Amino acid sequence: MRAILKVALGIIAAIGGFLDIGDLVFTTQAGALFRYDLLWAVVLGVIGIAVYAEMSGRVAAVSGRPVFDVIRMRMGFGMGLLALVASTFVNVLTLAAELGGIAIVLELLFDAPYSMFVIAAAVALVAIVALLPFGGIERFFGYGGLLLFVVVATVFHQNPDWGEVGRGFIPSLDSSTLYLYFVVGVFAAALMPYEVHFYSSGAIEEGWTEKNLKENRLNAIVGYGIGGILAVALVIVSGYLFHPVGVEPDNLGTVALPMQGAFGETGLLLALGGMLFCVGGAAIDSSFAASYNLAQFLGWEWGRYQGPRKAPRFTASWLVFLLLGIGIAESGINPVDITEYSVVLAVVALPLTYLPVLLIAGDRSFMDQYANGRIAATLGWTYFAVIVVLALAAIPLLLATNAGGG
Amino acid sequence: MTGTGRKRVRSATLLLLLATLALAWSGCGELSNDELNRGVESLSALAAQGQLVANGVARDATKITYARAMARTLGEQAEHEAEKLADASLEEPETADQRHAAVAVAEEISGLLSELQTFPGDERHGELVEQHLGEAGEKADAIVAQLSGDAP
Repeated sequence: MRAILKVALGIIAAIGGFLDIGDLVFTTQAGALFRYDLLWAVVLGVIGIAVYAEMSGRVAAVSGRPVFDVIRMRMGFGMGLLALVASTFVNVLTLAAELGGIAIVLELLFDAPYSMFVIAAAVALVAIVALLPFGGIERFFGYGGLLLFVVVATVFHQNPDWGEVGRGFIPSLDSSTLYLYFVVGVFAAALMPYEVHFYSSGAIEEGWTEKNLKENRLNAIVGYGIGGILAVALVIVSGYLFHPVGVEPDNLGTVALPMQGAFGETGLLLALGGMLFCVGGAAIDSSFAASYNLAQFLGWEWGRYQGPRKAPRFTASWLVFLLLGIGIAESGINPVDITEYSVVLAVVALPLTYLPVLLIAGDRSFMDQYANGRIAATLGWTYFAVIVVLALAAIPLLLATNAGGG
Repeated sequence: MTGTGRKRVRSATLLLLLATLALAWSGCGELSNDELNRGVESLSALAAQGQLVANGVARDATKITYARAMARTLGEQAEHEAEKLADASLEEPETADQRHAAVAVAEEISGLLSELQTFPGDERHGELVEQHLGEAGEKADAIVAQLSGDAP
């Protein structure tokens, strides 16, 4: 039980990172369009984020430096500033989309105006952050998001053709640009930069040291593993129900339909509840990541554990980012569209986030005995090569497919 | 910058702006066969999605607020598609009949979803809407077949 409680950081980072509004819709669309053919891309993304989260957590625990500190240290002021601008842009867009996502789920549950719920969502987030300690916030959203295990139960209830599901885990490359766009989208959604920003800063919030390295590994494997299982399950239930009848899921509410089909109102409520916690967790992840990055880059005092008095600029920046998010979410742009663009644009910022982590985690003069071993280094560089290829392909594919619209 | 240089930059900017507006204007409302096809396919997808929502109502296996909000969202999408198809001028005038039929199907889907929005707790209505959405989806599929030359 203690071991399970220890993986809260990994679970919230994974739940918020893997199953934010964009992922919920992206993975559901992937299943609806290509049935089980993109399952391999989900798994590829899960392993990638687990590898880099483990590295960033290890660097934070050993050196006391979170990812953005490392970016500035390793890449200098100019590249650091570029990474800050790019990641802040993506984080604020993501935050806006998540606030919109919370409002949509509340609208589905209580049928009141969307704009009212955007404000309510932001007020609730402020209250939760003000009242709960960092660990409490992690557990609230992380364990609440586990309600989404109803998706896994739905898979077994549907009892799909398991042979066909199994074949989906074997990588295949379709020549269509739409398929390639979804490969990039599914992979990028798993490796959104804010996940490692939040995860590594969270490790400092929790006061990790070398003694917590086992916990770090457990968080990376179990936390992201759970996120991955849920993402795989979403592709399967969507492929099973939506693909044969030609449904094109571009609403957040559609994601819950397979669970309603399998377990009626109870399944629907569990799915909507799980989505609420996941999207709420992602709003916390992305808003905190934006403030962490800014504070770490400018050398401010930062961290929820410090409180507003000791870290006033960090707290103020968090509130400003939240207000920006509310402004965008209230502008009337569909939150799903916002997040789809932010996922694909984030790919371009991926190398700037992951290269410094990889370099510093492998640096024996800095990490001593805790530097990357042969397996971590091989996986890290292989994934970095994939990230660079995808970063180059992302924008042309976004334009060629009209952002997945065909 | 000299006065002439400034004038040139201003003229070039104005020209660019006019060209962009002209492009946007010429693109606005011109519907290619492919776009018409995609529009009708999306109607079929909306009908299928609406059927799943209506099925939940028919089986009393949903939450009223969810069914109402989903019916509203999908209905608005169908209405928007109807307006888009009706407003656009066709690149290939011989597909006018299919466009007309597609607008009618979009309006039918929108109407059915509006009914579901009004009676999200009525199982009998749910059953009827599910059935009629299925028929509307079949009509949309038939139009797609005609457009792609697959119709008998």
